[in-house]
Amino acid sequence: MHSAVVHLQAIDWHGSTVHFVSAAGTGEAEVAVSKDPGPIVPEMKELAWGAGSFVVFALLMRFVLFPKVKKGMDARYEGIRSSHETADAERSSARAEVADYEAQLAGIKADAARVVDAARQTLEAERQATLAEVNAGIAERRTAAVAQADAVRTAARDQIHAAVSDVAGRAGELATGRRPAADIVDRAVSEVMAR
Amino acid sequence: MEAFSHLIGAAFDQQQADADKAASAAASAGFAYGLAAIGPGIGIGYLVGKSVEAMARQPEAAGMVRTTMFLGIAFTEALALIGFVVFILIGL
Amino acid sequence: MIAEAFSFPEINSILRWKDLFSTFNKIALIAVAAAVIGSVIFILAGRKNPLEAPKGVRNLAETSVEFIENGIVMQTMGKDGLGWTPFLLSLFIFIYLCNVPGIIPFLQMPATARMAIPMFLALLVWVIYNGVGLKHQGIKYLTNTIWPPGVPVALKPLVGVIEFISNIIVRPFSLTVRLFANMLAGHILLVTFALLTSSLITAETQQFLLKPMAILPFFMLVFLTAFEVLVAFLQAYIFTILTAVYIGGAAHPEH
Repeated sequence: MHSAVVHLQAIDWHGSTVHFVSAAGTGEAEVAVSKDPGPIVPEMKELAWGAGSFVVFALLMRFVLFPKVKKGMDARYEGIRSSHETADAERSSARAEVADYEAQLAGIKADAARVVDAARQTLEAERQATLAEVNAGIAERRTAAVAQADAVRTAARDQIHAAVSDVAGRAGELATGRRPAADIVDRAVSEVMAR
Repeated sequence: MEAFSHLIGAAFDQQQADADKAASAAASAGFAYGLAAIGPGIGIGYLVGKSVEAMARQPEAAGMVRTTMFLGIAFTEALALIGFVVFILIGL
Repeated sequence: MIAEAFSFPEINSILRWKDLFSTFNKIALIAVAAAVIGSVIFILAGRKNPLEAPKGVRNLAETSVEFIENGIVMQTMGKDGLGWTPFLLSLFIFIYLCNVPGIIPFLQMPATARMAIPMFLALLVWVIYNGVGLKHQGIKYLTNTIWPPGVPVALKPLVGVIEFISNIIVRPFSLTVRLFANMLAGHILLVTFALLTSSLITAETQQFLLKPMAILPFFMLVFLTAFEVLVAFLQAYIFTILTAVYIGGAAHPEH
């Protein structure tokens, strides 16, 4: 009995009248009459404090704390979404600019190609013209030379013809004593020379 | 004198009866909790097993399955917990 | 030969603590502290610049808000239920902060392992979901609760009794008991293994192997403490999601 009393004081800080199976000494069970409520009976002060603190917390949360945090979150999400949209808009405008630039580039390239083509055509035409001119000059000169050569040849031929006709006429005169008719000698000489 | 001894005897009998009652209460509390735990144990095992199967088949529905699984566990587990409360009430 | 027998202390001695004042005890202290800590977290979170990337306490607050919105409200009530987020959030935070002291050294007592707080919260939830049902469906809520739409007439008496008991009586009871008994069971388990460890260490015995054996219940104690971290979260989550389900069901009976 005495040991049980000591034990009871030792764990008294748990509050209430503690009845405890005496562990020390004899092992005799010491069952005190308890006025404690059962372990599942709610206690009024716990109920009051718990309910009060929860209600205050929930009301504070509902009307002050949560809206503030939520507003911040919404603002940030809105900011993120709007900056996403801005980024999208910027990206599409950049794409448009790139397309613009590429169109301009293509135009300029086409222009350049056209200029180059034109230049090439001009050059070609000039070349052709020069070539034609040169060819014409050459042809002219050749024609002149040929004409000259022909003239020379004709002259030589005429000279030869005349000389041969003269010689043939003379020879005929000497042989026959009579001068042959000049047109007959000419025809004969022409036939001999054409052979 | 006889009355006094009778009184003592009655008191002793009362004490004995209380101790017996406490002992049988403790034993039946153990049985109560043990029995109460069988059904929910099987139930929760079956429930979670099926949920895992469902999540493995359709991983994209895993969130919904998990929520429903917790709800089912909560409902099933309540039975075991009522058994536990009975154990506390009659055993301790 | 073990000199001292091991015996479990009387249950009230591990649950009821000496009053701090005559009207204020440890459970009340934990409940008040839970409300204060929850408020302080959100006050500090509200002070930070919301446009920066959240970190620290603001990140904590925003994570909890998103957890309630995406993990609980959207899963059970859909978009209409987003107005309930602050209530469910405060419910979740309060229960979690009442559960967690069960594993914090020197506090070592979950406030929800006593009947008062779970009972109050369950009754509050009961009042709220019945109120929501009456507000959304009017007087039809009562008939819809007792007879879900589409029940054959022949079954109405039977279904009526079952549904009445399940919706009106069992729901708040099971909400209370689920939270209370889980935390109480965890607390008792922790006490058991802590007592086992200490009584093995302090045993006056001749057997030299007995004292080192205290490491086994100690490992179990550590493992159970880790398990209780999970249970504290899970019970807060389950209480909150069941509340959401009940409110959502009262608002829209077809779901």
